[in-house]
Amino acid sequence: MLKRSAAMAAKDLRLSISGGQGLVQAVLLGLLLIFLFSLSKPLGGVITPQAAGAIFWLASAFGLVLVFNDLFAIEEANGARVGILSSPAPVHAVWVGKGLAGLCLLLVSQLVFLPATAAFLGQNVYGPWWLLLATLIGADIGLVVIGALLGALSQGQAARESLLSVIVFPLLLPVLLAGITLFAMCFSPEPMGEPDSWLGLILAFDALFAGAGLFLFPFVYSGEE
Amino acid sequence: MMVKILAAAAAVALLAHQYMIWFYAPVAQSGPVQKIFYMHLPCSWWALASFFVVFVSSLLYLFRRDPAYDRAAGAAAELGVLFATLSLITGSVWARAEWGHWWVWDPKLTTSLIMWYVYAGYLVLRSTPMGRERKALVCAVLGIVAFLDVPLVFFAAKLWGSAHPDGVARESSGMAPRMWHTIFTGLAAFGLVWGAMLLTRVRQLATLARLEAMLVWDEEA
Repeated sequence: MLKRSAAMAAKDLRLSISGGQGLVQAVLLGLLLIFLFSLSKPLGGVITPQAAGAIFWLASAFGLVLVFNDLFAIEEANGARVGILSSPAPVHAVWVGKGLAGLCLLLVSQLVFLPATAAFLGQNVYGPWWLLLATLIGADIGLVVIGALLGALSQGQAARESLLSVIVFPLLLPVLLAGITLFAMCFSPEPMGEPDSWLGLILAFDALFAGAGLFLFPFVYSGEE
Repeated sequence: MMVKILAAAAAVALLAHQYMIWFYAPVAQSGPVQKIFYMHLPCSWWALASFFVVFVSSLLYLFRRDPAYDRAAGAAAELGVLFATLSLITGSVWARAEWGHWWVWDPKLTTSLIMWYVYAGYLVLRSTPMGRERKALVCAVLGIVAFLDVPLVFFAAKLWGSAHPDGVARESSGMAPRMWHTIFTGLAAFGLVWGAMLLTRVRQLATLARLEAMLVWDEEA
């Protein structure tokens, strides 16, 4: 199954990079958000590490919606979804493949957001890099697990971006709060608080929704219109 | 008939509840404004009960594929959002009078607000144009995911910072027995209102489904 998931992810990545608009839109919108929020900085003042963390994760959440809309829209043309469903690949391979592709695209867009946060919002990484990376990967897994499950909800809908945002954003709150707090710890020059509970929360979120996704994805990804 | 009995019982219980609020329960230290609590608490509890009904109905729909469960989930979500809205409004008014702020960061408040957002989104999904079976399926999936999220949202909000009078809403220590009686009467009265509304809405949705099926048949004929 993993081989088929990898094939699915590779196909999605190739299509996204060659012709898809999801990644470009995600990067542009995220950059724009970070720049626009930098306008809230008073002249000569600073943006607090927590506000910077919140802006970064807000940009990532919008990026997630655009990336997964694009990943699921790819198969809307020419009945490709029905083709995948009738292939011998188990439907879970589609979920894992979409998740992997989404994770790669989200990480690429965050590679742009992170320097933008440093430049526009005046942040430095004072905390340990391992914490920043662990938060980034852990929280991203939580985001893509939900994105890969619910991205299929709005397939065939005209206003899919807005529909998906309205549904996904409140669900993501635990993982976004954890990401914001841990990033604030990394950006802050003050001594760090305890990150363990927040990392545990991210792990619990990832595990719970990975399980739920495995069980529920076959119901949402179907041939029905 | 069942709805009529429930509605009549609800009317009597609501009157009794109002009597108890104003004439039976003692005035709390914070003054008469605390009486909002007697309506705030039942709204929150029955909102939570509605969301639990959405979860259970959604699970049952996935396993049995009976449209009745989908209708029950839809009706419960509508009632849940209604009761959660009332709970948020009454809570906000009470907080303003009691603490001087319309909104404070408290795990319970935050969880209620996030649940309101999630289930309002669920209702938006229910009203989007989609095939009937597909819509029922995706709504069932969202109904399950939404309820699974609740404990995590509560825990996250608690970690985020609970520098607020967490015990105030519970008031377990300083409550006179008459206050408890009023609370339980309120829970029962609102429960009857909730039951009558849920049953009515489920029946309305069943009638709607029957009419839609007849219309489709007519068009085909």
